[in-house]
Amino acid sequence: MPDLQVFMAELGWPLAIALAWLSGEFIHRWTRLPRISVYGLVGFLMAQAFPTALSSGASSTVTLLANLAFGLILFEFGYRINLHWLRINPWIAVSGLVESAATFGVVYLISHLTGMPPLTSLLLASLAMSTSPAGVLRVINEEDSSGQVTERVLHLVAINCVLAVFVFKVVVGFWVFQTSGSLTQAVSHSLIELLMSAVMGAMLGFIVPAVLRLLGAIAQDGTVAFAMGVVLLVALAHAFDVSPVLATLTFGLAARHSRVAFSRTERNFGGIGELLTVLLFVFAVSTLEWERVVAGAGLAVVLVLARFVVKAAAVAAFAHVGGISWRKGVLTGIALSPMLVFVTLLLEQTRYMGIVLVDELAALAAMTLLLEVVGPIITQRALIWANETAAKEEH
Amino acid sequence: MPLEPFKSSQPLTMGVELELQLVSLSDFDLTASSPDLLHLLSRKPFPGNVTPEITESMIEINSDVHTHHSELVAQLQVIRDTLVQAGEQLNIGICGGGTHPFQKWSDRRIFAKPRFKEVSELYGYLAKQFTIFGQHVHIGCASGDDALFLLHSLSRYVPHFIALSSSSPYVQGNDTLFNSARLNSVFAFPMSGRAPFTQSWSTFENEYFAKMEHTGVIKSMKDFYWDIRPKPEFGTIELRVCDTPLTVERAAALAVFLQALCRYLLERREEPPVEDDYLVYNYNRFQACRFGLDGTLVHPKTYESLSLREDILTTLRKMEPHGAALGGTAGLQHLVQVTHEGSDAHYLRQQFDRSGSAEGMVDAAIQRFRGE
Repeated sequence: MPDLQVFMAELGWPLAIALAWLSGEFIHRWTRLPRISVYGLVGFLMAQAFPTALSSGASSTVTLLANLAFGLILFEFGYRINLHWLRINPWIAVSGLVESAATFGVVYLISHLTGMPPLTSLLLASLAMSTSPAGVLRVINEEDSSGQVTERVLHLVAINCVLAVFVFKVVVGFWVFQTSGSLTQAVSHSLIELLMSAVMGAMLGFIVPAVLRLLGAIAQDGTVAFAMGVVLLVALAHAFDVSPVLATLTFGLAARHSRVAFSRTERNFGGIGELLTVLLFVFAVSTLEWERVVAGAGLAVVLVLARFVVKAAAVAAFAHVGGISWRKGVLTGIALSPMLVFVTLLLEQTRYMGIVLVDELAALAAMTLLLEVVGPIITQRALIWANETAAKEEH
Repeated sequence: MPLEPFKSSQPLTMGVELELQLVSLSDFDLTASSPDLLHLLSRKPFPGNVTPEITESMIEINSDVHTHHSELVAQLQVIRDTLVQAGEQLNIGICGGGTHPFQKWSDRRIFAKPRFKEVSELYGYLAKQFTIFGQHVHIGCASGDDALFLLHSLSRYVPHFIALSSSSPYVQGNDTLFNSARLNSVFAFPMSGRAPFTQSWSTFENEYFAKMEHTGVIKSMKDFYWDIRPKPEFGTIELRVCDTPLTVERAAALAVFLQALCRYLLERREEPPVEDDYLVYNYNRFQACRFGLDGTLVHPKTYESLSLREDILTTLRKMEPHGAALGGTAGLQHLVQVTHEGSDAHYLRQQFDRSGSAEGMVDAAIQRFRGE
């Protein structure tokens, strides 16, 4: 009989995904907890039990698939953003800017006070700004929710993600500049990279709907065409070393706003999209190590709480002028809890540059694990309390 | 509960109710947003009345009681502007149209109230498919007898209103080939159709309604989904066959057409209504739903075949003096224009061809509702 570890090395990923999916289905059915929380938890436990089997390098197939899964979710996310709304109701954008800036400030302050080096504090603060678009979108689709909390969460997440990518890249650029002394390298790793990703996404966002229009099949379904676009874009982003996050998000935004044609895609990109999501959420926690999580737990809890309070308060402050009740404002802020997937992939992008933040920063590992598992549950509760979810029929 | 007495109201006054769609501007599907919209609207006085409906992706507005077309249209425009402005703040598009072209009936959320749950269990998919949007026009009547006289005399003109208001060509993402597919959803209900042929209110009250109540099939007038039904507590008859048009101007024009027709019919120059008028009723109604203005009618008295478009134009011409007397000439002219340019259903199909998708059609409906 072969050794269990050897056996797992062969079958690690397929088994982990299957187990995560099964647990997700059962636990969701029994408790109505969000499936993705379960995927994360199972993924983390599996990764602790079989660390070598679930390892993944920056260019492994699993990493690529996870990037693709994330790209699909970001596309769908961008496709649901209405930029026109942000112009008509400026308070949405204002609350997005304020909650991101406040989160950045508070997280920086706390980590600075605990004696962390400034650069690490800056990176941590920029990452804490973002909410996981994958977590939020999956919960929204799972609950089939609609209403102001749902709409505003989507738009606020788009804002804080773009800001987080931007600030993160600028900080990284700043770091590269400090260590290597090359200004061009610093710039190329921040602003130009962002611009290139956006341009790539935008171009595809015009081309794909145009092709669909030519094919004349848009009335039916754009799922395959857009999925193909995401595959291409993720590969391109990989090849040109630009941000796949921003590229795919821009792709969705541009496809929606180009008005070349309207078309529909299946929610979550159908069954294959669901499969990739399981992989994504298992992958996202597989890089975390138990020792680091424990070591950083104390600071993580403080940071998570601070982030939670700051986001809820900042969003709620603009609720009334933005046209919703205070209650829905607070719930919108609360729903912004999930973090992680986004963070991990951002980090994957930067690893090769020598910044191995997770390895250095135990608090981040603990924080992301906590928000990966608990974040979606909080978002789900916020949507339920706001009465925006579809009431489940009793059987 | 016995039927309440018919409350006399000032003849030929009119009021309009419109069921409107709440559409997410993110993906153009219906969105369950009425609580948010009503919350925002409650902050300021509303120029009219706005109420929630059975599903959260629908609201109903109604005008005050009016006698003049110009007042009615002005109020509907103010209501519209208030709604549109509030909707924009919340990323909600508001539009007319008898059906949403691609919403999936299985996705609709029925309110978690016991009564809605009962309805949902009784009617199954019909209840959810009932996410349709109509215009109701009330006309004031001096007495219950007048109301029933008008109700039956108007049966001959029901196809006119269906064709002129038709705005529901698409259902569940597909072209139904109907101009008003919405009415097919109404006809599926057991208590739909025409009112029984009684011409005196006391007969209606003591014989028909009391018997029906005794059977246990119905509890109140609300349980009848008739094309035209008396509303004793308001002292009106209520025409319920119209799809919600894409613009409030058309809604007002339809109300004025009905007002003029009632004025004309109350002069009692036409042959009085008889039960046999209903022999061709369902056929004519089908023609209007399916073919709209291009439909063919059978005249209930002469059995002659008529082009629906021609018959509408003839009727509109006949209504000119009545329209003039009531101050509704502009409204009647608007409808003459419709017979030339085509109905809203025709406009929506054009938009589908132009944009290539049902989403584009919804977007066009939203723009049109704003009056752009």
